[in-house]
Amino acid sequence: MLVVDDLHAGYGASEVLVGTSLTVKPGAVVALIGANGAGKTTTMRAVSGMLRPTRGRVTLDGREVQGLDASRIARLGLAHSPEGRKVFGPLSVEDNLLLGAYSRLPKFLGYKASARADLDRIYELFPRLKDRARQSAGTLSGGEQQMLAIGRALMAQPKVMLLDEPSMGLAPVIVQEVFRTIRRLKEEGITLLLVEQFAKSALEVADYAYVMERGRIAVEGTPEELGRNERVIAAYLG
Amino acid sequence: MNALIIGQMAVSGALMGLVYALIAYGFQLTYATSKSINFGQGELVMVSAFFCLTLTNLGLPYWLMVPGGLLFGALMGLIIERAGVRLALEQKSEGWILLSIIMGLFLFSAAENIWGRDDRPFPTPISADPIRVFGVDVTRLELSVAVGVFAIMGLIELFKRRTLLGKAFEAVSADRDAAELMGISATRTVMLSYALSGAVAALAGILVSPITTVGPTMASALILKAFSVAVVAGLDSGFGVVLIGMALGALESLASFYLGSGWREAPGLTLLILALAVRPTGVFGKAVIRKV
Repeated sequence: MLVVDDLHAGYGASEVLVGTSLTVKPGAVVALIGANGAGKTTTMRAVSGMLRPTRGRVTLDGREVQGLDASRIARLGLAHSPEGRKVFGPLSVEDNLLLGAYSRLPKFLGYKASARADLDRIYELFPRLKDRARQSAGTLSGGEQQMLAIGRALMAQPKVMLLDEPSMGLAPVIVQEVFRTIRRLKEEGITLLLVEQFAKSALEVADYAYVMERGRIAVEGTPEELGRNERVIAAYLG
Repeated sequence: MNALIIGQMAVSGALMGLVYALIAYGFQLTYATSKSINFGQGELVMVSAFFCLTLTNLGLPYWLMVPGGLLFGALMGLIIERAGVRLALEQKSEGWILLSIIMGLFLFSAAENIWGRDDRPFPTPISADPIRVFGVDVTRLELSVAVGVFAIMGLIELFKRRTLLGKAFEAVSADRDAAELMGISATRTVMLSYALSGAVAALAGILVSPITTVGPTMASALILKAFSVAVVAGLDSGFGVVLIGMALGALESLASFYLGSGWREAPGLTLLILALAVRPTGVFGKAVIRKV
């Protein structure tokens, strides 16, 4: 579904990604783990078009998308829930969700009626968002904003979803809730690429995982295989 | 009697002030999506007014001329965005400031060459006969300014709050990168904001011309006041520009009546300096902390 091949990207003169390759199969949850600064977030940004790759290929559902605008890649079926959540603070929770489905909805009126079923599904998944539907997103707690960011990405009915550091800055109880949600998404068959600092929790939900070091993939395998790898255990699972 | 004169002055001044507010609102529209403004906005007001005068002279009735003028303004806004602003923004440069000034100068020279340097009357079917409201005389012409300003601002605000495209506009203002991830094209949203800003400038020209006449320099004073209003009110409050615009208009009119017409420009500049010294984000603006 998503194939990244020999991806190079960076900021100005400093190259962060030096030939990253990975594959996300349809319906799979793939975890991308590694130390801070290894290039996990940069990989996500280069895949979704927020950052233009300097070399390499990104194939989404059989179509090469590297070098396209982020908005174009989003319309082709990739939903990226970015690091730091980036909800639209001044807009209401419901407007944030509706904008998640922007490319599928009528642009002037009647968009809410067309999105009714999707909205209900998100509210069923995150009842707290329903209670706060009219509140502006900026007033939500960190955990609620993360739910909103995930919900907003789901509204797009994406072919592939990128989820970057969903547990960042959240209390342990909320982190558990985030992982419960991810497990639920997995049951629903969502294709997901997950970047996480909590390597252990990420490996518990993932079907397959990549370990990044200094801009490229160092080790890959199923969670069981990585769980037996001495180096991975020492560095990330200790 | 004295109170009545003050009231009279304040009301006519405030109605003129709405034109400053409308032009300032045009700045806010493009600033919201692109953090840039068109420094040639005054020239846009002026060429649109001339264009409308030509339409009228060609025999087009007023109510067809107005939408024609708005379309022309929108088109000019798009040209300025494409030919000037976008080039600079793509380079992450502040060159849009200079480019938009240059395009303004270009429009100014073009107007002088096409329509000449003289100020000309702008015909309108709206009567200038005064009507008495609570002892204060206002003309239908002055009232038409208020109606026009509130109508277009109301429509644009309704568009932003009620349509999905409008919400996308707000999303780009709030977080351009995140909006792109929703499939919203930031480039197109910026284009839309420049088109709207151009239409707003054209309407300002149409509304003010019957009162001030049309000429190449008609907007040079207007634009200065609109800048003051935008700075004092802040670049993100539509309500703020209306309030500050009306207050400034009223103050100017009172200053020129009581202190002499040479003092007309004093309140605007005083307000501008005060605002920059005391509250640079504007009275209604939100303080933005720039994270580096």
